[in-house]
Amino acid sequence: MRTFQMQRYSAIALLVFLTIHMIVVHYPPFHIDFGIILERMESPVWKVIDIAFLFFVLMHALTGAYMVITDFESAFNYRKGLAWAAIVIGVAAFFYGSATIWAFQPPV
Amino acid sequence: MYTSTGFISWLLRRISGIALVLYLFMHLWVIGSANSGPEVFDARLNAVQTPLFKLFEIALLAAVVYHAFDGIRLLIVHYFDVTEYRKSLFYAVFAVAAILTIAGGVPILLFMLNG
Amino acid sequence: MSNNNAQRTVTVRIQRFNPDTDKKPYMQDYQVEMKPGMTVLDALHEIKTHQDGTVTYRRSCRHAICGSCAMHINGRNTLACNTPLKNEVTHKNTVTIGPLPYLPVIKDMVVDRTTFWEEYLRVKPWLIPPDDIPEKEFRMSQDEVKALHDAETCIMCGACYSSCAVIGLNKKYIGPHALLKSFMRVLDPRDSSPAERLEEVSGADGVYRCHTIFNCIDACPKGLNPTQAIETLRKLAQKRQKLEEARRERQKHLNEPIPA
Repeated sequence: MRTFQMQRYSAIALLVFLTIHMIVVHYPPFHIDFGIILERMESPVWKVIDIAFLFFVLMHALTGAYMVITDFESAFNYRKGLAWAAIVIGVAAFFYGSATIWAFQPPV
Repeated sequence: MYTSTGFISWLLRRISGIALVLYLFMHLWVIGSANSGPEVFDARLNAVQTPLFKLFEIALLAAVVYHAFDGIRLLIVHYFDVTEYRKSLFYAVFAVAAILTIAGGVPILLFMLNG
Repeated sequence: MSNNNAQRTVTVRIQRFNPDTDKKPYMQDYQVEMKPGMTVLDALHEIKTHQDGTVTYRRSCRHAICGSCAMHINGRNTLACNTPLKNEVTHKNTVTIGPLPYLPVIKDMVVDRTTFWEEYLRVKPWLIPPDDIPEKEFRMSQDEVKALHDAETCIMCGACYSSCAVIGLNKKYIGPHALLKSFMRVLDPRDSSPAERLEEVSGADGVYRCHTIFNCIDACPKGLNPTQAIETLRKLAQKRQKLEEARRERQKHLNEPIPA
């Protein structure tokens, strides 16, 4: 039940965040580089939005992958281990991604 | 095998979902190069802005759009009593996803061709 | 009209499998003369009595109430006994019949339904009555009866169970048939343990394993709606304590007349 709720609520959050992401990042012109991203990322509000986006996207991706894998009967019996693996991957990716978002600082 | 519109929709949802998970980790790796400074970042970003990756981007757009609208369909089924209209909902999702993929894909293609 | 009633011969393609002699299933064609009002089951009878006695299938009541003759006819699950042969004949003048998919085949159209019945018993499909039973009858309102009525007409044929793609992957999933029964008992005001039932069906192999593919609705020969039942259980599972309390309150008035 928890997996399902996490997946549903993160899905609803993603509908909002992904729309924002698609509009601000990929709106023409299509060329992007460090400088262009930096203009936006200088504001702490965008940093917070991006970290929240990262959190929900990881939650949705990992619960989704967990559901796909545990649909197979052979994997279903190992679902405890798979859940822990997903949590470990999720935490690691979250910290790595947050560090990336943090790294968009004006060069000193 | 029991094929039906629902089965096809589920299969597409699965495939696009798995593709998006793989993309997400690739995306984290590419953007993660910002940890090592602007030069590395721009170099790695340029590596994934070749015409081949633009084609992948259209596939990515299709996967995102389909997965998102299929998700909206599931939310509608969950919160409203609409199982009667399941066929129409499937086709609506297929149509909307196709239209948005074309609407987004054509500019990407033009950008790719014009440089 | 005369054209419709005229007798014509149709090809019935049957999936054959005998575990003693065959390595894998194969298709065998039979020619059957179509008579007016003939059902698919009648065609199978015709083949078994007059052409090939080894064709094996289950059937009993032949009026869609026993649930024995569920089969895979022209790519969908339905009962052979209430499906007119005329409606199933394709433009190639054939009808294809096979066993229920995703289940182990015992012989020809007979499948092993062990997991089907195990999951059915697991959700305790019987009524668990309250401790103090009313002296006369239980009284329910029209609306309460209406909510369960559809689910009660399930004949346990297995058409929904074997159309479910999740069952195809994972036999540990409870399955649409048992979840429909559970739904019926959870909503029944006479049943005294809705929270316990919801606990049972809300695990990793329960209602949240359903991926809303809708095959069960398409397959059901009785026109029932297991998907909606599963969606309802999902919603109720998140507030099961509240439901349990409401049920306790409701059961204090089981022998009282329903206010109009």
